[in-house]
Amino acid sequence: MQTKQSSVKVCETTITDEDEFISFFDTNYNLFKDYLIVINGDISEKIESYLNEKKLSFLQNVTLPKGKGRKPVEQELENERAKYLNAQKQLEAELLKSTTPEPVQQRDLKVLDSLVRSGQELNIDGDLLLLNRVNSGATIIIDGNLIITQVVDGSIRCNGNFMMLKASPKANIIFHGVEVDNSFLKDRLNRVELKNNEIVITPVLKEQNWGA
Amino acid sequence: MGSIIAVISGKGGVGKTTTTANVGLGIAINNKRCVVVDFDIGQRNLDMILGLENRVVFDIVQVMDGEANVKQALIKSKFDANLFFLAASQTKDKSVLDSDKIQKLVTDLAEDFDYVILDAPAGIESGYEHTIEFADSAIIVVNPEVSSIRDADRAIGILDSKSQKVKEGKEVIKYLVINRIDPKMVQSGEMLTSEDILEILSIPLIGKVPEDRGIIDASNQGKPIILDKNSPAGQAYKRIATRICGEMVAMEDVETIQTGLMSKIKGMFK
Repeated sequence: MQTKQSSVKVCETTITDEDEFISFFDTNYNLFKDYLIVINGDISEKIESYLNEKKLSFLQNVTLPKGKGRKPVEQELENERAKYLNAQKQLEAELLKSTTPEPVQQRDLKVLDSLVRSGQELNIDGDLLLLNRVNSGATIIIDGNLIITQVVDGSIRCNGNFMMLKASPKANIIFHGVEVDNSFLKDRLNRVELKNNEIVITPVLKEQNWGA
Repeated sequence: MGSIIAVISGKGGVGKTTTTANVGLGIAINNKRCVVVDFDIGQRNLDMILGLENRVVFDIVQVMDGEANVKQALIKSKFDANLFFLAASQTKDKSVLDSDKIQKLVTDLAEDFDYVILDAPAGIESGYEHTIEFADSAIIVVNPEVSSIRDADRAIGILDSKSQKVKEGKEVIKYLVINRIDPKMVQSGEMLTSEDILEILSIPLIGKVPEDRGIIDASNQGKPIILDKNSPAGQAYKRIATRICGEMVAMEDVETIQTGLMSKIKGMFK
């Protein structure tokens, strides 16, 4: 698309007395011949033929855009941008709220010191500290946080803020619906947690000596 | 009142029946009155291993149904006068078992004998649950391989939740027998070590039995391997029986290869 910009001088007027109008334009013809004449109100045939005869370009009943200086224009643009950014920020904040629930620190901690054997399924609502093994074929399903101090050979389904465990290659560990690679969990206790929608595994470096 | 011991494994073919026969005979040799009961209704084998196949007249189901009394059904062992045997029914199936009748039978037997040993069927179905229901203790037989360990783990879990003693708030005493240990395979790392097994199952060990080719022949002959003084497995069963009778016997190392000229020479240089 090709555009062409140009500034036009405008003479805006309302006709009350036709003769006065004609005589005004007759006397000032040289001044107004390149102007755009804008007439508010009715135009009689007499005036129209006069204007055509004089080859004056004219428009009837238009609202002309009033140009602004550079400064107010820039100010306006700046305001628009700030508004847009604010809206964007609010949207992001709302999105974040809906995906990450309020972190629950601790809830109904249970402490168990029994071996979880094959075929057993523990369904825990809350947190669990297990001081024994989870054998192959056993399952723990838990809503809260989970710490297991002995080796895990079985299955874990954890939806808490974090879990801390040591798993053998046989184990099946699922944290918030995502299978955790066992090779990251072997040999030592590991802390598995959810940070900004990402699963972060941190090895607990020192072998813990659990009050033994 | 005698002790009621269930011999369980979860998985089949790990040596439950062989263990029952040999440990039963071992207890009898220790001068304790012992009865072994085959609870594997429909698939009895214990009669053959004890060499009493042709002596079975009445079976456990007939006793429980009142068709015969216990005295008539008990068969005395050829090998030791202290050992008696009660056969399973070969024609009926596990569904004929009933808790009340089993309780009456095993408590009656426990009145007469020092040890009542129940040979459980493989698996964890009703037949298994009935066997463990009234047991005071259990011998868990495993092989050093993962599927046997997992099945035993499951069987122990059921034992800990379904047995009468647990329901009364008491604990069922558990003994672990690691059966068919092949020293060569343990040395090469192909078999699980006893330490691994004990860590997984976390029950006390009562004996390790090495793999022994003589066992198949012994079963075919109907002469339990415990009677063979030269069999390492037979000797292992003898030690287990003595431990069950309450005597302390040191654990023998059956996981290192002890025979053979080369290892003896190596041993000299250690």
